[in-house]
Amino acid sequence: MELEAVFVIGMFLTFGVLLMTGFPVAWVLGGTAVIWTLIGVIAVEDFGANLWFDYPSSMGLVPERIWGIVESDTLVALPMFIFMGIMLDQSGVAERLMKSMVKLFGNVRGGFAVTVIVIGVLLAATTGIIGASVVLLGMLSLPVMMENKYDKGFAVGTACATGTLGILIPPSIMLVLMADRLAVPEASVGDLFMGAFLPGLMLGAMYVGYALIRPLLQPNVAPVPQGLEKVSWSVVWDVAKAVLPTAALILGVLGSIFAGVATPTEASGVGAFGALILALAAGRLNLKVLSSSLQQTTRTAAFIFAIFLGATAFSVVLRGLGGDTVIEEALLGLPFGPYGVILTILFAVFLLGFFLDWVEITLIILPLVAPVVQQLGFDLVWFTIMFAMCLQTSFLTPPVGFALFYIKGVAPPEIKVTDIYRGVVPFIIIQLVALAIVFLIPEIATWLPSVAYE
Amino acid sequence: MTVSDQDSLHTPHASVSDADELLHHHTELPTTRISQWLDSILTLIGKGASWLWVVVTGVIIWAVVGRYVFGQGSVLLEEVQWHLAGTGWLLGLAYTLVVDDHVRVDVLHERWSLKTQAWIELLGLLFLLLPFLGLAVYEMVPYALSSWEIGETSQAPAGLSHRWVLKAVLALSFALIIIAALSRLLKVTALLFGFPKPIRIETPDNKKEDAS
Amino acid sequence: DDLRWKMPVAFATNLPGLGSPAAWVADNLTTASNGSIQVRVYEPGKLVPPFDILQSVSDGKVSAGYTWIGYDQGKVPAVPLFAAVPFGMKPWAYIGWYYYGGGHELLQETYHNKGFKVHAQLCGIIGPETAGWYANKIESLDDYKGMKIRFAGLGGKVLEKLGASVTMMPGGELYQALEKGTIDATEFSMPAIDQILGFDQVVKYNLFPGWHQQFTAQYMLINQDEWDGASDSQKALVEASCTAATTLGLAEGEYKNGAVLAGFQENGIHADQIPTDVLKKLKAVTQEVLEEEAAKDADFKRAYESQQEFLKTYKVWDERAYLPADL
Ligand code: NA
Ligand code: NA
Repeated sequence: MELEAVFVIGMFLTFGVLLMTGFPVAWVLGGTAVIWTLIGVIAVEDFGANLWFDYPSSMGLVPERIWGIVESDTLVALPMFIFMGIMLDQSGVAERLMKSMVKLFGNVRGGFAVTVIVIGVLLAATTGIIGASVVLLGMLSLPVMMENKYDKGFAVGTACATGTLGILIPPSIMLVLMADRLAVPEASVGDLFMGAFLPGLMLGAMYVGYALIRPLLQPNVAPVPQGLEKVSWSVVWDVAKAVLPTAALILGVLGSIFAGVATPTEASGVGAFGALILALAAGRLNLKVLSSSLQQTTRTAAFIFAIFLGATAFSVVLRGLGGDTVIEEALLGLPFGPYGVILTILFAVFLLGFFLDWVEITLIILPLVAPVVQQLGFDLVWFTIMFAMCLQTSFLTPPVGFALFYIKGVAPPEIKVTDIYRGVVPFIIIQLVALAIVFLIPEIATWLPSVAYE
Repeated sequence: MTVSDQDSLHTPHASVSDADELLHHHTELPTTRISQWLDSILTLIGKGASWLWVVVTGVIIWAVVGRYVFGQGSVLLEEVQWHLAGTGWLLGLAYTLVVDDHVRVDVLHERWSLKTQAWIELLGLLFLLLPFLGLAVYEMVPYALSSWEIGETSQAPAGLSHRWVLKAVLALSFALIIIAALSRLLKVTALLFGFPKPIRIETPDNKKEDAS
Repeated sequence: DDLRWKMPVAFATNLPGLGSPAAWVADNLTTASNGSIQVRVYEPGKLVPPFDILQSVSDGKVSAGYTWIGYDQGKVPAVPLFAAVPFGMKPWAYIGWYYYGGGHELLQETYHNKGFKVHAQLCGIIGPETAGWYANKIESLDDYKGMKIRFAGLGGKVLEKLGASVTMMPGGELYQALEKGTIDATEFSMPAIDQILGFDQVVKYNLFPGWHQQFTAQYMLINQDEWDGASDSQKALVEASCTAATTLGLAEGEYKNGAVLAGFQENGIHADQIPTDVLKKLKAVTQEVLEEEAAKDADFKRAYESQQEFLKTYKVWDERAYLPADL
């Protein structure tokens, strides 16, 4: 094996092992970069290794690269979407939505699950972060479903998986981040938002299908509740009223982009402003709530940006050690043909998703594979959306599945970790089926961006 | 079985910060007098910087309304946005370390004893975090200085001048993370070696106070 | 000694004329030197963000870089005169001044005076950009009032003086912003490159002439110590390769633009001219802006005066010697 390949594997292994110690991800990335800078320099200086590696053009470039992150106008959207999500959560808008919608769908077998999914999709169209939606859906829906003797796995799986739609359905900080890393006009933030829209809705529809069909086959999974109020016009009216604020916010964010009022980056600020108004209108905004929301925004933004900082150091050292070339040659050398390469990448991302978080995968893997995909002549929007779907799945796959962590935290004590694992398996399968559909019918991802701008 | 609003849906209001408490399994370190003092300063800076998000929201709304309603685009306002947003998260990095909110993979971590966790923390701080921060600051200081020396401005003639300010904030923010890391290091040595003198064990309750 | 240069570039090497010369120079240097100069190209952002290429070459973190030096206007105010000047020279006039009128030496001194340790080598040039892509036609100066336009550099300052609402939004958001009417117009580059960004799909007017950028020059920046340490034959080879790349880049743009533009027209794009009286006013305001800049920076002033001096006599030739385009 070539020295470069050994170093690249060594670097990833170091990262993987250190990651399992539980030391913060961002600093493991940065520390691994330092360790391998040292190894690289020793290999070149003391052992005469034939590598194009030196300190100045690797770790030495860290300030320039970090400055490039600070200077990025599009990344302003990241803290803004976080702030918006937290304010929306504080406004209590979603809570009201749940209460009213349960009355609408409650009479159907599996109706509570359908309610959770519908609300989840609406929430997903307003917020770009997962923590907020998983926690919200879990806290709102699990007690109701438990009380109505829903199967624990079925209930918790539905809430958990639906919560992850927030990262796929626009707006989404993941898509913002991807567009920023890709930095090509054919996969702009706007393109990715449009591209993710239909696959996101399709997933929502497939979840609903599962929520309706599974109870048909196994009635004891979701018993029909007794004594519910009949659906009347007043119930419908309640739902309409409760949907209104959420709809207004969706309109504010996506509408301001479409109407040409704001760029996608600015739309994040419009959304944050809108959520602030909603919280104010709900009478939930006071100085204490505002300041703790702002601090929460800082801490969430800081932990994501910290991973950026570590990842940018990791990437530049990996690149210095020849990582780009090694991975590109390995992928292009695969004996499966172009579509095989795509499948291999997606499969690798799916596997990595068991252990890594979306941020690391986006920051480190996406820039490595995107040029190969482009070189093979594939549509970058199509590929990136599938990549995003893989990452959305990674929230559900143990051991490192953030949605699982979140839901465990808010689930009633009778729901065990095994219930959660059992509950998300069908959804992971749905994810893979949806991925296959987008793979076979690329238009699901590429059609909307193409007509949106005609 | 009936569904009543009162019983099942009156869950306490869900909050994202609840999820974070559950996600980040904080290692319950004791603190020390110096750490307490350093942490309070860093927390103050972080909380202060948090107010920038309101300002950024305002600037974006101002820019959007200005351009759309009054036909007044402004390169200056666009640059103010990322200057403020950058300052916000940069100054938040050390604060986030103080409240131990940086993401960990704690599959194994949470099963280990406090002592094992502290040893990992000690080695991680010494051999991963501090070397990384040290090299970064070593490179960032001349980077900011050269910007100051040549009087760097925006490349857009209508943009902001004084680029060195934000570049200095960058270097400063990394220096602050070093301080946060040293403060944490003292807490770790307090636990492992009793030096400096440990003061109290942080419980999840007072941790929450610190954080909000 | 053998030289190994890492060379970050500011433009993707698949961009005709703008990025392609970098890849050609790297290959050619390695081949022609029989391996005594090896150059590895790093696509934009892979190693150094494009805006920091000058800084990292000067600091010796990378040995070389390939960039549009106008990006460094905030550090070296005089560079626009060497990168792209509103109402500036045609490409061949610019290289006339650069190679024979003391431009090359002035550029080295300009960098030196600002404390940057680089050797700059003209290494690519393209002809005019278009005046941009517009939702509506420009018929009078008033049309600029309140126009939301993305416009870079000194030209942007000129339009701002005329009441336009100038922004600098990122390249990746332009297409959508133009399509949705978030902006009314944008300039970017020449047709062969604009085509890649797809502006022709969203607005109907592609206006000419590219008053703000008659030539666009790219340079290879080489760390001064690295340059001083190179042998005479290595230096000669770098100079020759860059001079050749300048010719090839210009040739590529000239060869491709016509066909692309003709294709635009077939698809209903109006490739219209900005009226002469509007251009005259733009030129007058440009003059003001250039004088303002010259008053602020001594290097700018020197280069500006040197160019003006050359143009005085060049004009005598230029106005008479070339055939009118419509003949
Ligand atoms: Na979303
Ligand atoms: Na996972």
